[in-house]
Amino acid sequence: MNVYRHARLLRTIVLMIVTGALLLVWVLPLIWAFVVSLKSEREVLAYPPSVVFEPTWSNYVDALFGSFSIVDSLLTSTIVATATTVLTIALAVPAAYAFARLRLPAKRPLGFYTLATQMVPPVGLVIPYFLILNRLSWLDTYHGMVIVYLTFSLPFAIWLMVSYMEDIPWEMEEAAFLDRASRLQTLWHIVIPQVRGGIAVTVIFVFLNAWNEFLFAVQLGGNTVRPVTVAMYNFVSVEQTLWAKLSAAALVAMLPVVIIGIAAQRQIVKGLTVGAVKGGARK
Amino acid sequence: MSQSSDAPVSSSRRKGGGIHAGERRFAFALTMPGLLVLFLTTTFPLLYLIWSSFQTINLAMPFLDGFAGVDNYVQMWGDARFWHAIRLTGIYTTTSVVLQVVIGLGLALLVMQIPAGQWVFRIVAILPIVLAPVVVGLFWRTVMLSPNFGLVDYLIQALGFEQVNWLGAPTPALISVIIIHTWQWTPFAFLVLLASLASLPVDVYEAARIDRANAFQRFWHITLPLLRPAIVIVVIIRSMIALSAFAAIFAATGGGPGTASEILNLYAFKTSFIELNFGYGSALAVSLLVITMVVSGVLFYLRTARHPGTKT
Repeated sequence: MNVYRHARLLRTIVLMIVTGALLLVWVLPLIWAFVVSLKSEREVLAYPPSVVFEPTWSNYVDALFGSFSIVDSLLTSTIVATATTVLTIALAVPAAYAFARLRLPAKRPLGFYTLATQMVPPVGLVIPYFLILNRLSWLDTYHGMVIVYLTFSLPFAIWLMVSYMEDIPWEMEEAAFLDRASRLQTLWHIVIPQVRGGIAVTVIFVFLNAWNEFLFAVQLGGNTVRPVTVAMYNFVSVEQTLWAKLSAAALVAMLPVVIIGIAAQRQIVKGLTVGAVKGGARK
Repeated sequence: MSQSSDAPVSSSRRKGGGIHAGERRFAFALTMPGLLVLFLTTTFPLLYLIWSSFQTINLAMPFLDGFAGVDNYVQMWGDARFWHAIRLTGIYTTTSVVLQVVIGLGLALLVMQIPAGQWVFRIVAILPIVLAPVVVGLFWRTVMLSPNFGLVDYLIQALGFEQVNWLGAPTPALISVIIIHTWQWTPFAFLVLLASLASLPVDVYEAARIDRANAFQRFWHITLPLLRPAIVIVVIIRSMIALSAFAAIFAATGGGPGTASEILNLYAFKTSFIELNFGYGSALAVSLLVITMVVSGVLFYLRTARHPGTKT
């Protein structure tokens, strides 16, 4: 019995060490970026890389208020991501309800069409969009950017919402129907409250994707619409070696999504797995 | 795709064509705005892309612009850089997807054995996923992989290995962008497979244990078949994303050195926006679109057609 217990303890310890080492692979780059962000630029270029040094917050102050301020870009990203999210939800939720619950002419082809639009490679869109928006003089405008962002957020949001809509029970809709509530009332008062969780997950995903988008932003934005992702990239192109400032600015830029990610960790995993787990449960 | 068709319909709704007609009208009104926007924002630009792939559109030499017929496609067929980009796209996609699934599954199986503290892994795994790929690419390019001052380069030298010019030499640059992509997205496979593992029925394993199946047999004959749908979904999603990966490579190597890490995506982008040759860039993008459609078609076919017995 004792031997058995020892073997199990040993196994657990080995397991902890192995998984801990693997964990380090994912944590280390992030911790290192944080460490670098606390260094002075001279300290960054010390060799070997220093681990013990006088930490300074000056890079963060610079990133926010200094000559490399990213506050404007943070604001731009907030506007674009929020507008994209609001529009996407407003369009996706009713469509998803119809797909999931109602008799809809040509439901299968339309559903397949929605899925197919999700698979379009972004580079296949950025080229025509550049030519189209250029002709409309909509390059570097907020409305232009939000329109482009709908291309990846809308199909995804519709499909995610469909999977949540399918999970709610039918009884309350039936009761509302028998009470002669109009269809729109039923959707608004009965269905939407039941899928609030699903809407929250969709909001999170759409916001994250819009915040992190780079390809469209770098080519279709400009001096007016310059989200944080583009600001980060430009920073490295211009200031090749100011890594401490880059790290600080990048960590500030990523703070919103990191906070959302940690706070909504369970919901995100659920969102990621909705397709996968369902794929197992049904065909 | 077929999810919506098998929704239960109550008997009260089956009666009367008038009700159905009203329901159809209502459903149509609900989907119309979304589908119309979808058509205008995705399908219309794609048609424009196809049209422009048959044109000469060169912003550097606008006087040459005009209908080009299949010239762009003929040029593509004889373009060594195009075939090189195709090969790199294949290597990049298959390698990174296989690595993500294998490492993610291995990690998920390990973490399932841990008696406590699984939440730490869940939190850590969410971080790379929520980071912008362009920022990940920049992090790796600077503080991780740059010569001497980068952490990876330093550690490798400290361990006594020869220094590698990670982003400056052709083969290491390709390996680097694959590593970066794998680093960022293995947590996705890990989290999805961990969730699927947690939802597997326990009683099957009890039965297997009574039958004295060893750990490997249990994995091969029980876990793997039960996980198959989840693995297939992960492969499909990750392949689509890898095929259109852009920001991290663009930030880390810009496709270089030379064309060493220039997957088709980057080639189409650079042709359009750096060489300003939009006609040829469009043709390259159309080829990527076709490849994506074929790959997704094959993957979906494999998902539904093979192993019909595993479906429930």
